[in-house]
Order: sequence, then structure tokens, then C-alpha cells
Amino acid sequence: MAYVNPPRPRRHARAAMLTLCAGACAAAAMISMTELAHADVSLGVLIPSSGKGAAYGIQQQNAIDMFMEKYSDLGAAGKLKLDIYDTRGENPEAINLTRKLMGGDVVAIVGPQFSGEAEVSFPLAVRGEVPIVTPMAAKPGIANANQPWAFRYALTSENVYGPLLDAWVKHQSKPIKTVVVLMDGKDAVSANDGKNVFPSVLKAHGLQILDTITFQTGDIDYSAQVTRAKALNPDGIVISALYNEAAHVAVELRKQGMTQPIVAGVGINHPKFIELGGDAVEGAMAGFDFFVDDPKPAVASWAADFEKRFKAQPSNAAAEMYDTLYLMRDCIISTGITGKDIAADRVKMRDCWANMKNKSAPLMGTTSIEKGDAVRSPVVLEVKGGRFSVAQ
Amino acid sequence: MEVFLQQLINGVTLGSIYGLIAIGYTMVFGIIGMVNFAHGDVFMVSAFIALIAFLILTAWLSVSSVVVAVFIVLIVAMLFTSIVNWAIERFAYRPLRGSFRLAPLISAIGMSIVLSNFVQVAQGPRNKSLPPLTRGEIVLMNSAGYPVTLGYTQIIIWVVTALLLVAFWYVVSRTSLGRAQRACEQDQKMAALLGIDVDRTIAITFIIGAALAAVAGTMYVVYYGVISFADGFTPGVKAFTAAVLGGIGSLPGAVVGGLLIGLVETFWSAYFTTDYKDVAAFSILAITLIFMPQGLLGRPDVEKV
Repeated sequence: MAYVNPPRPRRHARAAMLTLCAGACAAAAMISMTELAHADVSLGVLIPSSGKGAAYGIQQQNAIDMFMEKYSDLGAAGKLKLDIYDTRGENPEAINLTRKLMGGDVVAIVGPQFSGEAEVSFPLAVRGEVPIVTPMAAKPGIANANQPWAFRYALTSENVYGPLLDAWVKHQSKPIKTVVVLMDGKDAVSANDGKNVFPSVLKAHGLQILDTITFQTGDIDYSAQVTRAKALNPDGIVISALYNEAAHVAVELRKQGMTQPIVAGVGINHPKFIELGGDAVEGAMAGFDFFVDDPKPAVASWAADFEKRFKAQPSNAAAEMYDTLYLMRDCIISTGITGKDIAADRVKMRDCWANMKNKSAPLMGTTSIEKGDAVRSPVVLEVKGGRFSVAQ
Repeated sequence: MEVFLQQLINGVTLGSIYGLIAIGYTMVFGIIGMVNFAHGDVFMVSAFIALIAFLILTAWLSVSSVVVAVFIVLIVAMLFTSIVNWAIERFAYRPLRGSFRLAPLISAIGMSIVLSNFVQVAQGPRNKSLPPLTRGEIVLMNSAGYPVTLGYTQIIIWVVTALLLVAFWYVVSRTSLGRAQRACEQDQKMAALLGIDVDRTIAITFIIGAALAAVAGTMYVVYYGVISFADGFTPGVKAFTAAVLGGIGSLPGAVVGGLLIGLVETFWSAYFTTDYKDVAAFSILAITLIFMPQGLLGRPDVEKV
């Protein structure tokens, strides 16, 4: 009987294991060397990709994509990394995600976007000593109350409504003496604007508020509120709401035969406001610091590129996100943030924002930070021919 | 007085829409004793189907007559929504019919989430709008410079709600299908022993419920001109409340409940702060159920021992 050598599986297995280990060690060494050369810098980003502000979130995601294609390289600091999460526009989710990002390796948090979310997230970031910058939240006082770690890139509504009402009153052929305020009582910034900011600015302009009528985010029927406003026969209508509800209110106003001029708060700055409102929002006025038909070359080319790529006009929310990320990158490069010592990097980022003076960004011009808030000049816009344009 | 009348018109219109959705809830509960929590989302799906049909008819096929467009859209929405609801009943509820009591309820909540997320992914999270089909209205009275108006779309909603209530009341109380439904409501095993096809009767009930949701969805899109994936929840909850308030299982009760909820919401918004309008509506529900546990027009449960 011939002897046959049995197979030697163990020897083959050992050889394979040794090869794998050697490969893994080499790969690990290469990765760590690369990391030493380029320790990437991470930013956390909180946007409402779904839920009540999904239209803002989608626009901001598009702006992020455009930004990262152009500016993700940080030179000696490696690459910019973004950890992006969806808050659904909900305060509890914003809290959870802020906590999650604070425990990670992010140098700063960009977001959240709504004032309500910012009000609950900012104190957490202050306690955790993480710089947090909201591109969009406009309610007065929320950054100032959370110094020295919280900032905002958006203009506060109180800085916008003065120039806006100046222009609105002058713009009308029939004098405006009385108004009705229609406001969303559930949205933090809209409620605050409707209860506090608009009334003080209206009073300063000598306008009488006949009634303040509330509705709620997500309402479907505004007929009762509009009928109530119609009975008062005001000279003008003030709407303090996000774009979705504001558009529906405007449609209901026109449906019930109210032709009074409309002035609206900062929440309507989205092309969807015009798409949903159609003819009903023609002539409505609002004040923003970005508009898509701005003739400045940098804005015009960016807006054209955005519209070509995403088949939609960019909104204020998209522009604010783009500029905020731009300033974040500028701070990373100018202060020597490397991503290796997170605590020290966070302090550098905080100081960069706190001391920002006349810093230029591509879309909204120069910005200074005072007590956590951005200072810029707003532009008064009017819906004309289905687009926002500068009010003449 | 004029403002009160206008608010009454607003409230009846809103209540009619709630009533139309509530009939679907009440029919399903009346027969299999199950709260179909996915019904609000079936209504939302039907509104999307109606919106897409409207856009195809008006933008692509250039149908200019509003009446023809609404009629075709109603048929299309009822057909497709019926298929959706039949499929839900067949694959998500029927296999659980003999299971423990909470199983179909959980399945219904699951179906609600499935429909909502599907529409969010397929249609996007943004609101979809429809240009106003008609802005015509009748001026009922015009004193002190305040015209009380009744829009054509409001008239359509009132008439459709009234007609459907009468039609389905007739179906349930006077036809063999209605007899089969009532038999299934009382005792499914006994109904089956007496030759009634229980599965078929329940499936038809779901199809009828879907057709009613489709009518409500179409009216909603015509009247409000907008729909989003999240719009199944709030009207669904309000309609369910209406069905319970009116006496779940009772068709006229569903419409009466819907009208009451719509009127309370409207008048509360008109004369008080809207922050508490839902508190007001649900307080009335709670108070009614304390004193009339069977609802306004429901029959009291009698347990024979």
C-alpha cells in the first residue's frame, strides 16, 4: 500500500496568518504616517434634512456639497471632514446630536438651524466648551445668552425689521396706519418676532396693531384666522412665520379677497415661499442679507452654478451655510488648527469667531461679530414676477 | 353676525373633510373592531395620487374643464387608493386576524410609518402644491362692507360629503353587502357559518374606506392646494377623534363628529388664541365621552351573559 503524504493545512494556515499580520502592520504603519502628515480636522454639522424645515436642510446639504468640492483641502492641516446629522427640526434630536458631537473629535459645531433648537443646544455646547455657530437661527439674544462659545452667522430679526418697515411703508401708494399681525405661535423665532420684535418696530413707525392672530406650525386650515383679520379691515398685513405657513396664509388672504400689502419676517426667505404662494405672494416684502438675483459676480456665479446643478434657486439658508463653512475653514487655516489637540483647537476656533472683524465671505460680504451675533446690512426685497428682487 | 356666518362656513368645510376621513375609520372599526391607524396615511397617499393626476391632466393632457378634471381625478384616486388599502388589508392585517388583540393595532401603526416614509422618499420631504383650480364664489350677503362668501370648492366639499354619507348609509343599511357587513360586525364565525364570505366582506370594506379617503384626499388638495408626506398624521388624528366623538361604528356619527371638531377648531381660532384650539377640541371629546361613553350617535355596548 503506497504511502501518501497527508495534506498540511496547518502549515498553510500559519503562512497565511503571518502574511496577513505583516500586511496589516504595514498598512497600520502607513496609515499612522499619513495621519501624522495630515491629521484631518472635523466639524459637526446639524441640519433639518427631514421634518418641518426639510426644504432648508436640502438646500443646505447642496451648499455643503458645493463647498466641500471647492474648499475641503486645508493645506498643512490635511482635509476638512464634516460629520453631518439630521435634527428633523426637533429640539430633542438637536440636543441628542449636540451631545454626540461634543463627545467626538469635532473642532466646532455648525448648527442647529432653528432658533428653538439653538436655544436648547447652545447651553450644552457652553457646558462642554465646544464652539457652536448657527448659520440660520434668527431669534434675538440666543447667542448673546450663551457666551463665550455660541455664535450666529444669520442676522437677528431686530436688525432686519427696522429698514424693512421703512421701505415697506414708503413703498405703498395708500398710506399704512393699521396692521394685523398673523404669526406662528409654535415656531420660536416667528413667535418672538410676532410678539416682541415686530410690535416694537411697528410702534416706532407709528403703526397701530389691530390684532395679533396666531396659528401653529403644521396647521392646514387658516380660514378662521384670515376671516378674523378680514373683519378688522387693516391697511397692511404682517406675517411672522416660516416659508411654508407664510405662503399658505398669503394664499388664504387672497382667497378671502384681502388685497392688503404683505410684509413678512425672516422665515420666508426660501424660493419655496414663492412656489407655494404663487400669485398670492406677489408684492410681499421681506428683508434678507442674501438674494439669488444679487448682481455681485461672486453671488451671481454661485447662484447660477447652484441652480444648474440642483434645479432650484438657492435660498438664504444655503448661502448662510456656505459662508459659515467658509469662515470656519478660514479660522482653521489662520489660527493653525490641526485636529490633533481637540481642546486647544476648540479654544482657537472660539477666539477666532469672538474676534471676527470685517471678515469677508463669498456670498454675504463682510461680517463682524458683536456679542456672538453677526453684524451686516440687510437688503429689502420684494416678490416680483415670481422671484425675490430688490425693492425699488 | 357676518363674521360669525363666515366662520360657520369655514368650520363646516373643515369639519366635512374630517367627516369624510372619519367615515373610513368608523367603517373598518364597525366591522372588525380594529382602529386602522394607517387610515390617515392612506388619505395622504390618496391626496398625492390626486395631485399627480391633476398635474398630468392639466399640464400634459391639457384638460381645461375643472369639472371633468375633478371627476377623472376622483376616479383615478379612488382606484389606486383602493388597491393600496386592499393590499394593506390582505398582507398586513388579514394574517393577524386570529392573533392577539394588539397585533393588528401594531401592524396598523407600522403601515402608517411605512406609507409616510415611502411617500417622503418617493416624493421628497417638501410640500407639493397645486395651483388653485377655481376661485369662484357666491356672495351670500354683503352688509356693512363685509361680504359673506361661499366658495365653489366649499360647495363641492359639502355636497360630496352629504351625498357620500347618504350613499354609504344606504349601502350599509339596505343592501346585501351592508347586511353581510353588519353580520360580520356582530359575529364573524356565525356569519361564516351562514354562508357569508367574511374575508371578501372585510376586503370590500377596506376598499370602500379607501375610496372615501380618496374623495377626502382629492377635496383636500382642491381646497388647500398643498400636500406633504406628514399631512396624514394631523387630519388622521382629528378624524379618528371625530369618529370616536360621533360614536365609532356610526356613519352619521362620524360626519357629526367631524363637523363638531371642525366647528370647535374654527370658532376657537376665531375668538380665542389658537394655541389652545386642540386643547379645546380634545377637551370636548373627553367631556362627551365621560357622559356619553358610546359617543353622540353610537349604540351602547351590551354584553349578554
